[in-house]
Amino acid sequence: MENSTQESHLRSDNSITYESPCPVYAMAFSSAPSRTSLNHQRIALGSFIEDYANRVDIISFDPETLSFKTHPTLSFDHPYPPTKLMFQPNRKSPSSSSSDLLASSGDYLRLWEVRESSIEPFSVLNNSKTSEFCAPLTSFDWNDVDPKRIGTSSIDTTCTIWDIEKGVVETQLIAHDKEVYDIAWGEARVFASVSADGSVRIFDLRDKEHSTIIYESPQPDSPLLRLAWNKQDLRYMATILMDSNKVVILDIRSPTMPVAELERHRASVNAIAWAPQSGRHICSAGDDTQALIWELPTVAGPNGIDPLSMYSAGSEINQLQWSAAQPDWIAIAFSNKMQLLKV
Amino acid sequence: MQMATGVQNQERLPENLKKQLALAVRNIQWSYAIFWSISARQPGVLEWGDGYYNGDIKTRKTVQAVELNANQLGLQRSEQLRELYESLSAGDSSPQARRPSAALSPEDLTDTEWYYLVCMSFVFNIGQGLPGRTLASGQPIWLCNAHYAESKVFSRSLLAKSASIQTVVCFPFSGGVIELGVADMVLEDLSLIQRIKTSFLDTPHPIGSYKSIPVAGSTGNDKDLACPALEPQIPDTKLSPLLGCEQLEMASPNDSSDGFEPNQPAEDSFMVEGINGGASQVQSWQFMEEEFSNCVHHSLNSSDCISQTFVDHGNVVPLCKGENDNDNGLQDVQECNQTKLTSLDIRSDDLHYQTVLSALLKTSHQLILGPHFRNSNQESSFMRWKRNGLVKSQKAGDETPQKLLKKILFEVPQMHDKGLLDSPEDNGIRDAAWRPEADEICGNHVLSERRRREKLNERFMILKSLVPSVSRADKVSILDDTIGYLQDLERRVEELESCRELTDLEARMKRKPQDHVERTSDNYGNNKMTNGKKPSLNKRKACDIDGAELEIDYVASKDGSTENVTVSMSNKDFLIEFRCPWREGILLEIMDALSILNLDCHSVQSSTTEGILSLTIESKYKGSTAASAGTIKQALQRVARKC
Repeated sequence: MENSTQESHLRSDNSITYESPCPVYAMAFSSAPSRTSLNHQRIALGSFIEDYANRVDIISFDPETLSFKTHPTLSFDHPYPPTKLMFQPNRKSPSSSSSDLLASSGDYLRLWEVRESSIEPFSVLNNSKTSEFCAPLTSFDWNDVDPKRIGTSSIDTTCTIWDIEKGVVETQLIAHDKEVYDIAWGEARVFASVSADGSVRIFDLRDKEHSTIIYESPQPDSPLLRLAWNKQDLRYMATILMDSNKVVILDIRSPTMPVAELERHRASVNAIAWAPQSGRHICSAGDDTQALIWELPTVAGPNGIDPLSMYSAGSEINQLQWSAAQPDWIAIAFSNKMQLLKV
Repeated sequence: MQMATGVQNQERLPENLKKQLALAVRNIQWSYAIFWSISARQPGVLEWGDGYYNGDIKTRKTVQAVELNANQLGLQRSEQLRELYESLSAGDSSPQARRPSAALSPEDLTDTEWYYLVCMSFVFNIGQGLPGRTLASGQPIWLCNAHYAESKVFSRSLLAKSASIQTVVCFPFSGGVIELGVADMVLEDLSLIQRIKTSFLDTPHPIGSYKSIPVAGSTGNDKDLACPALEPQIPDTKLSPLLGCEQLEMASPNDSSDGFEPNQPAEDSFMVEGINGGASQVQSWQFMEEEFSNCVHHSLNSSDCISQTFVDHGNVVPLCKGENDNDNGLQDVQECNQTKLTSLDIRSDDLHYQTVLSALLKTSHQLILGPHFRNSNQESSFMRWKRNGLVKSQKAGDETPQKLLKKILFEVPQMHDKGLLDSPEDNGIRDAAWRPEADEICGNHVLSERRRREKLNERFMILKSLVPSVSRADKVSILDDTIGYLQDLERRVEELESCRELTDLEARMKRKPQDHVERTSDNYGNNKMTNGKKPSLNKRKACDIDGAELEIDYVASKDGSTENVTVSMSNKDFLIEFRCPWREGILLEIMDALSILNLDCHSVQSSTTEGILSLTIESKYKGSTAASAGTIKQALQRVARKC
């Protein structure tokens, strides 16, 4: 295996930057430590090129030396840009299996087996009916309670729940009236989705007939683009709207009225991530080049909520991931750079 | 005149003062020595000038590998404590400069060190507080039981209690005041002060101006010191030099309830070094004549002022406002492990203490996210949020917001559709027509139109794959070739009907379908059908098909005869023969199934007789890992049974 260590740039503001040859959108932290060096963390980076040929590269990060290592063999081609990347969740122990699974979405849901020095396609999960071609996927979420389940969201208004062990569709639901843009698991059998129809809906696989609308965007049909469910406190989820600087915090116990709206970004928000180890902290990033960390107060003041802390990047931040394995690191992506920030 | 001297004083602290202090305090084995000097920024106010710490140490951190002697270690520790204080209190203004390389963090400190550190934040008006009164009177003050002293006498008594400081001594020196403290009970012994002065401090000063400062004279000159400085800053014109300084009284929060006798020994000022601009100074001073309520009001203001300056997200403000509640803010104090404080009544100086401590701790633990967050030497990349911080040039107004996110959600899905359908030559035209603006995508019309076109394109692709010798990919050519092909087929059907008996027999013998139409269609699907479907399903049995392995298998279906598959393989070439009941769309499903398996079909022969579809497909596997014959058979059987 050939590795090369890239010089990390420990800059004055203490972020560590990785420059990719092409623009970066999709990004994922591995939940499993590398077998050879336990404290290293793998990060998958998906290119964003508006053409067929796109790539996914896996690099690893050493928090001790604050450097990145590239792995030329850990890389694969992807048809068009992956809309999301995610490693198999909750794999804390390296001994359980020699390899890690990475999922990507685009035309289909694909699983890749990431080994120490190679990546092999593992499966392609395609639910397209014969009369249709593919129904491209906007996003997916891997159930961290029941890791054989992955839910995908599609522009064909449906969400599909896969059993990835058997490679079969567990169920497919017409979830919304319009394109579904994001999906997030709460529990083993409960997921929520957001859509161009402007609603957040919760589904329970035990009762597929019904869904609960817990939020609708104030302007009718203003699309909701991303959704994040607070894994530490399942009462809360967060969503962002198209062309809005707001992060809307929802409490599933009080449908339709958001419990908080975080409005300190100066331009539209592009990404949100809850803290993996704290139920009260969330990070958001947007076009104003800022990443903001917020602490949800028990009681909101009259003047809105101010963030705890801020970071400013070189340009619009498109992606944000908070490492579950090493919760004091947040990764952001802007232009062709990936940056790791210490919390 | 004296102000000028004060400034000079401040700027030229004798270089060897720290060493003198060190020598003195180490010699008598006390815990610390502090030199309070006249502030350069605020004449009439004593502030931290220098100090030496000689008390207990919890965690020692050093950057040098060199062995240091005790004296050097002590000096270094004092330096580090000062650095820590400066970095913590600078937290807001220059977060990047905080915590220089080595040094200590708040967790590393003992209670006594905390006491020493928090002392750095105190300032005293002349005549007030222990150091202020010492300077005013020119006489030493010896305070035993400092930790039980009235806060009017010794404002830091609560702090002292937490640090177990029992004896504090102040004496005037060199225009300022030297304060010494120890954790033991030491009875008053003025000869000790004399000894310190003569043995350790009495070295001739290199700067002559020190000698000229009339230390004792400051009692009478208070007015001169304080009033000229205050006058321009106080908007209320009632203050005139005539009033004299005796009538100026400080209003710290508790004074308001403690009564207002003139000449009351005042408490330490709430002003905190580094933050007291003119405004807070004004607020911390009160006129005796003023109403009680005004005092309260002003004192609240002054405490607010402190807390806001330290902690700008205002967490501490409620503390100050609820100052009559003895329980308030204890939590904060406890957080700092200063639990000894709980039993004591909370007075104004506690407020200061709490404010300083919570401010210091807040800035040092920017984000306390629980035990899972590791302690790491690496500093956070984030800085405290400020409303107007980090002003960057805003994006140009015409720039699309959420550009990349919208592309991912709105345009990338289109790319997949196009990639499957478009032949390269008409990409350009489609691009123009098929890339609707983001907001149009939501429109139903655009959506249904797009789907209609998708279906049309799809059907054309099927047609093209079924009709051989389609020379060009455009739709007119496909239709022309199809017409010709159909006419050709009709003619051949007639021919074949005439010799039906013969072929029937032949077919039965071979277990092959009769009446087959044998035409070759080239280039089925090309890249388009397989675009994006490269990886195979969970099968990496490339080795299985290495070499010329031939695998033939007949699979009988449920009813035994209507369905069977033969797959023969040679290297990467597959010959698939397949019979199954015909139904609408089955051919397309078969093609789909094969393309998912990464098979590139270059010849397809099909015929339908009495509801049975017979297919002969020649295909090649493209890619590194091939599906096994079994997988192909299973896939085809799944299609066949799906009806």
